[in-house]
Amino acid sequence: MGKAPVLKDGTAMKRIRTIIFYAVLAVDGIITLFPFLWMLLNSFNSEGNIFSVPSKLIPDLLGTNHMFDNYLTIFKEFHWGRYTLNSFIVAGLSALGQVLTSSLAGFAFATMRFRGKNVIFSLLLGTMMVPVQSTIIPEFLIMMKLGWLDSYLPMIVPSALVGSFGTFLFKEYYENVPPAYIDASSIDGAGPFKIYSKVYLPMSSSQIATLLIISFMNSWNDLLRPILYVSSDKWQTVTQALTQFQSQYSAKWNLILTGSVLSVLPILMLYIFMQNYIIESSVSSGVKG
Amino acid sequence: MLKHKLSWYRGWVPYVMLIPTVIGLLIFRLGPLLGSLAISFTDLNMLTPATFVGLANYKEMFQNPSFIQTAENTFLFSLVYVVGVMVLGLGLALVLNRKAKGIGFFRAAFYSPVVTSAVAVGIVWSWILSPRLGILNQLLSALGLNEVYWLGDPKLALYVVAIIQVWKMSGYYMILFLAGLKDIPDTIQEAAIVDGANGRQRFFRVTLPLLSPTTFFVLNVAIIDSFKNFELIYAMTKGGPQNATNTLVYDIYINGFIHFRLGYASAVSYFLLACVAVITIINFIFKKRWVKHQY
Repeated sequence: MGKAPVLKDGTAMKRIRTIIFYAVLAVDGIITLFPFLWMLLNSFNSEGNIFSVPSKLIPDLLGTNHMFDNYLTIFKEFHWGRYTLNSFIVAGLSALGQVLTSSLAGFAFATMRFRGKNVIFSLLLGTMMVPVQSTIIPEFLIMMKLGWLDSYLPMIVPSALVGSFGTFLFKEYYENVPPAYIDASSIDGAGPFKIYSKVYLPMSSSQIATLLIISFMNSWNDLLRPILYVSSDKWQTVTQALTQFQSQYSAKWNLILTGSVLSVLPILMLYIFMQNYIIESSVSSGVKG
Repeated sequence: MLKHKLSWYRGWVPYVMLIPTVIGLLIFRLGPLLGSLAISFTDLNMLTPATFVGLANYKEMFQNPSFIQTAENTFLFSLVYVVGVMVLGLGLALVLNRKAKGIGFFRAAFYSPVVTSAVAVGIVWSWILSPRLGILNQLLSALGLNEVYWLGDPKLALYVVAIIQVWKMSGYYMILFLAGLKDIPDTIQEAAIVDGANGRQRFFRVTLPLLSPTTFFVLNVAIIDSFKNFELIYAMTKGGPQNATNTLVYDIYINGFIHFRLGYASAVSYFLLACVAVITIINFIFKKRWVKHQY
């Protein structure tokens, strides 16, 4: 609808349209960004000030020596550093694992012919639609049998081993690589694993980046697996710790909101720097961030 | 198909490359999918040995008024969600589908809640919506209106949670619609202008029909996505007040891991699976009727 019939409009009309256009954007923008701002502002409120009615728009600790008191408290008294480290380990290893397994699978699907190829690929895509809650009970029993409860493993292994979106992403890309690359490399004596690791994988750096980011975000934001598989403080992720914190200290809103800020900060930083990869990937897939 | 000399790899190579994927597929997807079905016919509860109970769990499910309410909540949530994200997603996409200063910023801003964890989203909205202390109720009081118990009123809570999910996810659907709008050739729009079509005619007669493949794809994604509301409900209402925001995914968690009724929870999880499957099939049947492919 971008192309308004210019001939009919006068300049005044055009200016009014521009103003309306930006007014609509501004209102939507405020509705979208206000909760983030409100979360951030309230993380600089003292425990007393956060309960004042009417709410103070400017938090009392902002600009004072005690500005980061809530942040210090949450790190010192509530092990936030440990939770953050756990989240980085879990999300990082899940993402790395998924890049490895999906690129390998994508390479095989794209360049080789073998029995059962279509069956495996259809199962991979078909199970993408299945809500995780439909398989979580047997998965829980498997994790229990394996003795993996209360460790990083159950949060990492399922997503690191198999990734439908990732496999699809690499398969699509590798199918468009001219077969001449394979011919040339195999004449030079390179075997299939070398062709994968030395020729194909380096070519797909943008797919690697996309998948790393998407699966990192998914693991970071995941709640169900952490709350089922981890009970001791030592292995909790920030997302899980935040919900625990919320139910244990339901009155300490200043600290809960500080925790929220800290839990979304790494992902939002990643988003700000890599937004093109993230936004493009949502077009090529039915997978959300 | 690709033409390859078969000589560059041996027959077992692709199978070796697929080992992690196939192991993952079998142990964490297909196995549990069959496992859930098997468990749903038992009274597995982690305390006593499981016995086969036939269809008892399914029978109990459909005779349990609170399950019926949970199923209704789920569909109502889905309806609000699908309509909300489709309308807002398309609306935002139409507004942003032009060249103007600041478009990039707004596109990035509208997408930012999508990457944010549902838990943090739930927490900050609980704070905004809380009675007395929440900024929204203070605003209402300042305008001389009565306070609203957004999350405490059983008649209201489900809609509120669904709308928060719409707030979180609209940016994602905006991006999908934007990609669809970019695919519509400019020449067709220009031809419509030359033919004297006004803005509304161009939208309903040109843009919307040509967008229908995108709309169909987006509708599918939205419906599947609409069932995934566990995190938000966990962070905002825990299914309350009085079961008013309990949905299928949350009910599976409650029955399976709070009450340890794994058999019953598995039956609920198969009901959820059946819902997703049926809706997807219906969607594909109706696809032929209204998706226009020619352009």
